[in-house]
Amino acid sequence: MVNDKSLIKLEDVWKIYQLGKVELTALKGVILEIFEGSFVSIVGSSGSGKSTLLNMLGCLDFPSKGKTFLKGKDISLLSEDELSQARGKIIGFVFQEFNLLPNFSALQNVMFPMIFQGIPEAERVKKAKELLISLGLKERICHQPSELSGGERQRVAIARALANDPEMIIADEPTGNLDSVTGTKIMEILTDFHKNLGRTVVVVTHDPKVARYSKEMINIKDGEIISDHSNSNESLWKK
Amino acid sequence: MEEIRDYLKIAFQNLKTRSLRSWLTILGIVIGVFLIVSLLSLSEGLKTTINKQLKAMGGEIIIVMPGDESNPFASMMVGGVELEREDISAIQKTEGVDKVITMSYSSAISRYNGEGKTTFLGGLSLRDGQEILSRFEGWTIGEGRWPIFGKNEVIVGKKLAEDIFEDNIIVNSDIMIKGRKMKVVGILESLGSKTDDSFVYMDMDVYENITGKKKGSAQMAMVKVSDGVLINDIADKIKLALEKTTKRRGGTDAASFAVITAEKVSGIANDILSVVQAVIVGFASIAIIVGGIGIMNTMLTSVRERTKEIGIMKAIGAKNSAITSIFLMEAAIIGFVGGIGGTALGTIMAKLIEVYGQVHPMFYFSAVISPGLVLFGLIFSLVVGCLAGFLPARRAAKLRPVDALRRYE
Repeated sequence: MVNDKSLIKLEDVWKIYQLGKVELTALKGVILEIFEGSFVSIVGSSGSGKSTLLNMLGCLDFPSKGKTFLKGKDISLLSEDELSQARGKIIGFVFQEFNLLPNFSALQNVMFPMIFQGIPEAERVKKAKELLISLGLKERICHQPSELSGGERQRVAIARALANDPEMIIADEPTGNLDSVTGTKIMEILTDFHKNLGRTVVVVTHDPKVARYSKEMINIKDGEIISDHSNSNESLWKK
Repeated sequence: MEEIRDYLKIAFQNLKTRSLRSWLTILGIVIGVFLIVSLLSLSEGLKTTINKQLKAMGGEIIIVMPGDESNPFASMMVGGVELEREDISAIQKTEGVDKVITMSYSSAISRYNGEGKTTFLGGLSLRDGQEILSRFEGWTIGEGRWPIFGKNEVIVGKKLAEDIFEDNIIVNSDIMIKGRKMKVVGILESLGSKTDDSFVYMDMDVYENITGKKKGSAQMAMVKVSDGVLINDIADKIKLALEKTTKRRGGTDAASFAVITAEKVSGIANDILSVVQAVIVGFASIAIIVGGIGIMNTMLTSVRERTKEIGIMKAIGAKNSAITSIFLMEAAIIGFVGGIGGTALGTIMAKLIEVYGQVHPMFYFSAVISPGLVLFGLIFSLVVGCLAGFLPARRAAKLRPVDALRRYE
């Protein structure tokens, strides 16, 4: 399923934060390419630089040094608006804290990315409802995030990430705030997205159990990629 | 277009979830617009009322009274100085003068059906004046007739007849003034001013008899000019003639007289009111600007609180223009809703004052709420909202998604 088309490519990416007088190097010359149709997990302990790496892969941040290519285009050459637009279309985000907009219903939250892509209202509502129903949230469509459980919130967040039919989902500790049963369900949804639609999934996690769902595992430590290998445990994947 | 509608919906929902704060901010604008609309409509009404009364004074009438022209309103209150017999005859002899009606006024206790009240007395040279008063000043006898000269007959104003005494004054009843029995032979239609409507009017001879005023003098005079002459020229000539007579009488210390035409007074009154209006607009604008600062403050707080939300929206594809639009719209909505509220409250307030003025012995007062004023209130508040929202909206749009979402490792 993996083809050789590059979706995101990091070329010698450095990220240096200036914290007062102290310089903190979060990424040290990372070279990484994510291909279409891959399922990659980025594993590292707290402080390893994995969230910074995720920001780079999600085109949410620019490197201090080096280049990021989104579908072959150098993102530093895109305007802010072009980048936002491309991000909204190509990448869907799932965050550890769900990051739903608290004042809007589940349905409205799922519709947001489509609003920003200029999709007409009728189409938006239809698509958002379909997504929520397919994720088992039929009874929760009009609920506010505060009225939903953690698992339900994360499913709404996944529905939102899928709203614009993205080519890739980037998930940052998607199970971090969930119990293990709910966490498993969330990972199964992401796996299905990859398996059934052939789309790319990148999961950032510190939890080896979560990483086992992926086909490729990248270990990061102190801002450097220390290993990059195919997942030996194919049993989960094949089930 | 659809985009704008979507953003507007989002902006509304955002404001709704912070409803107390939104309403308080709106209140800031409401107060400013309320002040502008209520005060301007009242001052505009005052202008209209004054102009109406001046129009009633007649374009062909010159009024001569003691005092200074620059402040004709105050001179009405100044007592003591009078037009002497020679002044009046000087006016009469002035070229272009057709007729002169003299007028004196004072107050005295009147009794009607045993009830005593202080009322205004007005003496008019009705022999010459009756025609002029009815033709140029709009005096109409509502009930009854004009007094017959030489008889102790009076006419009364509408308000005096209806409101002052316990019993309504009726035609052909008697009223005791300064212990003398007078017959009320007519009731005037309203003259357009509550003071004028509260008078007992009588012929100058009768007035002189009752009050013991010096014969031939008067407190003021109304001059009807001949047809086809320039009224302001005649006014100047009268002024000159009066200066001569007063100088002859008392040297340089002689009292001066105001020779007023409707045109002149309305010019002065409008000048004064324009200044008043400018001051009102100035102060009320300050109130609105303070309201605008309130909007800016609320929006800046909002940007800070919603940093993460902004980050999320950007991460899921919001362009800078989308974020700017949403925040700008929130500020504009606050301003506009404040404008609507302020205009409505201001209108209600002005109308209430108008009603109050009609039932209380001030002068007739109308509040003029022009479409222009309403439009001004609404647009001004909308513009203030947009201006106040501009900086916060830009700040929101400039946030980088990663900074807005940042979770330090």
